[in-house]
Amino acid sequence: MLLRGAYRDFAGRSRLNVEATTVGEALERAIEACPALRERVRDEHGRLREHLNIFANDEDIRRLNGERTALREGDIVHLIPAISGG
Amino acid sequence: MKRGVAIMVGTKKGAYVLRSSKTRTRWVQEGPLFAGEPVFHMSFDHRDGESMFAACNNTWGGPKVQVSRDQGKTWTVASNPAYPEGHRNTFRRTWHIEPGHAKTPNVVWAGVAPAGLFKSTDRGMTWEPVLSLIDHPTSDQWSPGGAGETALHSIAVDAGDPKRIAIAISAGGAYLSEDGGKSWRPWNEGTRAEFQPNPEPEVGQCVHHMVSHPEKGGEFFQRNHHRVYFRNAEQKHWEDRQEGLPTNFGFAGTIDPHDPDTAYVIPLDERLRLAPTPGIAVWRTNDRGKTWKRTDRGLPKGAQLEVMREGIATDRLDPVGIYFGTVSGDVWGSADGGKSYERVAAYLPPILSVSTATIE
Repeated sequence: MLLRGAYRDFAGRSRLNVEATTVGEALERAIEACPALRERVRDEHGRLREHLNIFANDEDIRRLNGERTALREGDIVHLIPAISGG
Repeated sequence: MKRGVAIMVGTKKGAYVLRSSKTRTRWVQEGPLFAGEPVFHMSFDHRDGESMFAACNNTWGGPKVQVSRDQGKTWTVASNPAYPEGHRNTFRRTWHIEPGHAKTPNVVWAGVAPAGLFKSTDRGMTWEPVLSLIDHPTSDQWSPGGAGETALHSIAVDAGDPKRIAIAISAGGAYLSEDGGKSWRPWNEGTRAEFQPNPEPEVGQCVHHMVSHPEKGGEFFQRNHHRVYFRNAEQKHWEDRQEGLPTNFGFAGTIDPHDPDTAYVIPLDERLRLAPTPGIAVWRTNDRGKTWKRTDRGLPKGAQLEVMREGIATDRLDPVGIYFGTVSGDVWGSADGGKSYERVAAYLPPILSVSTATIE
């Protein structure tokens, strides 16, 4: 998993190696490794925050299967702050 | 920190702390803290003389409450306020953090959007929703204020009674609890909502800012959308004290820490949301709003500046220090009880809030 911008700061690192079969699982493994990520990635109802873009390799998971998007060994999950403003 | 005053400035891009000795003649600026994050409000806990709280509402990663136990030198991220599982609301941001009564030293209150009150019993580290207010039978009558969301932005603890707490919501009006937050009732008698078909509804008023007197029990003051009001908790209704002000609109207002009959407001033009001609001024009353006086010595002549709802505060020294911050990024201060002002910080990001710590 590669973390960019604010998410790198929240986790205190830019790269995490996790074992997971879906994006959702990968996020949970990352939160276990970096608990400070929990409230930064999800709201209190467990939904992903609005200004967070997650990519599985080069595809936005919104265009795939969301958190259920399947992963294979070697896939890269990107956590990227959404661009806001002009 | 040595004895003196700290002005905590929340801006659209982080927070700044201005520190001075009791003379308040020279200010040292620290910051930005929480760089890049909109800081809606900061507060100091005069009960322990150490704690500071900051309501940080970052777009990325969501809102955070930050807590300091060393007068702002170091900060820790607290748990977020959170609505219960299955609740209609999802926590979006914190608007106001208020230390509780002196007799409940571990209690801190937070007002959030969507409109809700949260209580901490561990000095701000964890939060529980006050569902008796959040799910009040009248809550379906709360509507988004000018900020585009319902927000609980004012928490006024009665200095004389730890169980008496008033809150205000935009646009939901004021509510009062007399049992420490277990139950609430609308507290808007005598206030108007001129934007509604019924201008005197039970709830739904657009309160802009409400405070209690920090020392004298039972005294409350509110800057409402169209008027200003005083109320003693024993009174049956709010006293309309708008007459004498240059406009009927404004956001910022506060009460004098030594005299509950003295208050300060910054009137704005309603349409422009800017100070009206002849420019920015603090208007002061010394007789509970019967008369108002313009004070502007030292302020820029003709400047049509904007000050937001948390934009004015006093310290607790004598003579009282009065401070306000503008959307154009300047902090103005008076160390002589409002006789004259000078600029104590310049060219900050747009200022959302000004609050103070008087460190004895």
